[in-house]
Amino acid sequence: MAGRRAALKAVDWAAFAERVPPNQRAMFNALKTRNDALTARLAALPEKPPAIDWAFYKANVAKAGMVDEFQKKFSALKVPEPVDTQTAKIDAQEKETAKSTAEYIQASKARIAQYEQELQKLKSMIPFEQMTYEDLSEAFPETKLNKEKYPYWPHKSIADL
Amino acid sequence: MLSRLVLRAAPAALRALPPPVAVGVLHTTRTLHTTQQSLAPVPPLPEKGGEVRHGLIPEEFFQFLYPKTGVTGPYMLGTGLLLYLLSKEIYVVNHETAAAACILTVIVYAIKKFGPDVAAFADKLNEEKMATALAMKNEAVQSLQTAIEDEKKEQWRAEGRSYLFDAKRNNVAMLLEANYRERLLMVYNEVKKRLDYQVAMQTLKRQKEQDHMIQWVERNVVQSITPQQQKESIAKCILDLKALSKSAHAAV
Repeated sequence: MAGRRAALKAVDWAAFAERVPPNQRAMFNALKTRNDALTARLAALPEKPPAIDWAFYKANVAKAGMVDEFQKKFSALKVPEPVDTQTAKIDAQEKETAKSTAEYIQASKARIAQYEQELQKLKSMIPFEQMTYEDLSEAFPETKLNKEKYPYWPHKSIADL
Repeated sequence: MLSRLVLRAAPAALRALPPPVAVGVLHTTRTLHTTQQSLAPVPPLPEKGGEVRHGLIPEEFFQFLYPKTGVTGPYMLGTGLLLYLLSKEIYVVNHETAAAACILTVIVYAIKKFGPDVAAFADKLNEEKMATALAMKNEAVQSLQTAIEDEKKEQWRAEGRSYLFDAKRNNVAMLLEANYRERLLMVYNEVKKRLDYQVAMQTLKRQKEQDHMIQWVERNVVQSITPQQQKESIAKCILDLKALSKSAHAAV
């Protein structure tokens, strides 16, 4: 009867809970309740059923051979272990998420680099007191006045004033 | 005569004065366009303009004449020049002079009275513009920093995905194990039920047989008591009772 069960890996629920983003809290709670229910159910069941007292039954049951037959069949009976269909799927899922997580982390790093760059630009800007309007247009290109499209003052559409 | 002296002294003095002294005398310390390269970013403009005496004449002029003529020099020059212009009628006093005098008085009075207030107002406008620009810049910096932190946090979160899969696998394993144990238990229970049923049946049967036999025996015994026997037993009982009562009387 050994080897039928993969040892349960201890899950640090506290650390797990920390890493759950707020928009997935509900799913996490559902998972945890499921886990707790299963743990309780497992704990309630004994590992082995108690042994049947064959001697008592042999002495007391009058029908000849019935107890012997039962005993023979009982010890010969092999309860089939439930087939594990899901672990493979879970492993596949894990591999896939590993990949997508790697991609996400790549994209995230690129975003961080971009933000750092902009931060650097902002921090190394000359203070506003020393800027001219030309310097301002250089530092913030969105403030540049479009003299080709709007040749007359105020060089931008009236709605933007 | 004084005028001729001044007119002759000026060019010589100008040529004699070396440039650094003039620059050092300036109240600003800017050195613009001293090299080929232009300075970038342009250094900040000075807060105040050059010092001026009586609103018109720069201080440098007084400093320029101080070595040769002392403190009163420029004033003497000014007075002399003015008198010369007036007396020689190079400047003619006419109605426009009066008008100019009145207008200038009013203007000077207005500036002296309202100047600082207007300057403060203009400064405030500028300050507000600067403040909004600065606030926007600070906000942008802040949001960028929080964005960076959030991204790092999300990365950290994503690393915790192994917990999820461990929990899932645990669930599956627990479910399988619970199922298996339930099956074992079910088998045991069924077998035990059947055996117990047999035993219970047997005991019940035996009990019923016993009861039936007892009842049958009792019934037969009662039936077998004939009327004759009943009379005899009643008579015997009466005799016994009499004997008992005699002995009881005797005891009492």
